[in-house]
Amino acid sequence: MTGRKQDSETSSFGSARPTTEIAASSPVAGDLVGLLTHEDVDRARDRWRVTRARWQGRGAQRFRGLRVLWLLVGPGVLVFLGENDAPSMLSYSATGARFGIGFFIPFVVLTFLIGLVVQEMTVRLGAVSHRGHAELIFDRFGKFWGFFSMGDLVIGNFLTLITEFIGIRAGLGFFGIRPVVAVGVGLVAVVGAITTGRYWTWERITLGLAIFNGLFVPAAILAHPNWLAVGHALLTWTPLPQGRAAEILLLILADIGATVTPWMIFFQQSAVVDKGMQPRDIRAGRFDTLLGATLAAIFAIAAILATAPLFHHGIDASQFQGAQFAEALAPWIGHVGAALFALGIFEAGIVAAIAISTSSAYAFGEVIGTGHSLNRPVRDAWPFYSTLLGSACAAAALVLIPHAPLEFVVLTVNVIAVLAMPPALAFLILLVNDRDVMGEHVNGFWENAAGIVVTVLLVGVGIAFGVTTVFPKLLGG
Amino acid sequence: MKPHEDHAEAAASPKPDLKDPRVVLSLLETDQVVAAKQQTRFGRRSLSTGIKILLWGLRVYVLVMFVLVLVSVVRAIHSAP
Repeated sequence: MTGRKQDSETSSFGSARPTTEIAASSPVAGDLVGLLTHEDVDRARDRWRVTRARWQGRGAQRFRGLRVLWLLVGPGVLVFLGENDAPSMLSYSATGARFGIGFFIPFVVLTFLIGLVVQEMTVRLGAVSHRGHAELIFDRFGKFWGFFSMGDLVIGNFLTLITEFIGIRAGLGFFGIRPVVAVGVGLVAVVGAITTGRYWTWERITLGLAIFNGLFVPAAILAHPNWLAVGHALLTWTPLPQGRAAEILLLILADIGATVTPWMIFFQQSAVVDKGMQPRDIRAGRFDTLLGATLAAIFAIAAILATAPLFHHGIDASQFQGAQFAEALAPWIGHVGAALFALGIFEAGIVAAIAISTSSAYAFGEVIGTGHSLNRPVRDAWPFYSTLLGSACAAAALVLIPHAPLEFVVLTVNVIAVLAMPPALAFLILLVNDRDVMGEHVNGFWENAAGIVVTVLLVGVGIAFGVTTVFPKLLGG
Repeated sequence: MKPHEDHAEAAASPKPDLKDPRVVLSLLETDQVVAAKQQTRFGRRSLSTGIKILLWGLRVYVLVMFVLVLVSVVRAIHSAP
């Protein structure tokens, strides 16, 4: 095992890619028997379901595949629907309200393709290494680079978490619910999801909530979009956005940040590990990620279509927040449509609050070397659960401070996500090319090419943002 | 008891006996067992000069960009009505 597990007697496992059979017959299996934890048993139960589904349905090939997929779907759908969060849906809404149907429809599809390239790498990395992203960075690059990477994650996650509670407050605010109650509902959802003590149950509850991201679809249908214009935009990328270049650039940046962010990398890899996925599950993991990206792209485009009437009627939505979008849309998509839109913003905030606080907790647990699994009981992994709840409570409390300048957090959170992505991508690409970690599952030429193109693209967009900030008049700002 | 048969047996069983540690081990890869992960670490990889330059370059990029975000936020606060 070159480069791995050199500091332990368990190196006697002898293989860079130990198989299930080797695990049970390994010379140290006897030692491990006495050390098995609640987490191991729960994970084995999840693995048994997958293994049984693969064995059982030999006579009914089609249903066997569906059953296996049902069991293995989760992290990919959650990460993409989680990233369709409150600030992201507000970015898409602002895009629809400002530019209507046109360039940004295919552009959003492109951003999800970028997200797919990135997230597929995390599936492989998690399934093969069985380590979270933070843990691998600390192991392979050391504490110096590890803490830098964690710094980006902590800042980005906390700011994003604040915006989720802003979304929760705004979404329920449409129905006249007081901020303190709305934020309390958000916290109850986070607590409720983690008290199950099982990754599987947590994942299914969160998936159940995440599917309500689809509320933007009926809201879009109620806006009676011109489907021919949608098809034309998808094929031709026109009409191009008109207006100040700086404003267009900011929306481009916000829409990219609504699809690719560092927390997604950390979250999906850790969730793949917690779910117990193995190299043989990589294909299913890819399907899971593709399904998530497809659903999220449809729902994102639905948000643009739902707010396009504001563009057609010349309503200035530049200062709108969540509930204001819903209120402004009511004359055009009806009260039901507006209510669906507000519920969609609320749901986006809830699911993302759960996913992002879990992402922070996973990373924290991996770095300090304490238990970091949703399969662990609270008493065994209290630092993990404390981080999860603590970050959610702190963000919720900030949202309740009167007159706090929270609108600036909403405006900048997606921009910060894009700017922090290139280093996160560099670590990801380096790790997924690390043969000591990945064995035969290292990136191929096209995967590396796609990863590098995405990184260069994000650096380019970031530099353009920097230039417009330093020289605001350069692009007519 | 051959491990492969173990695995098949566990899969075919309507309810596996997860109190039996060998059944648990037969369903997990070695690296998935918490105790094995705690005892083992990937070693530090050696970073070539090119990789160091890349990582430092991206680090400086992020720091500069974060300062610029701060500048744009301060500007926005001052220009807010």
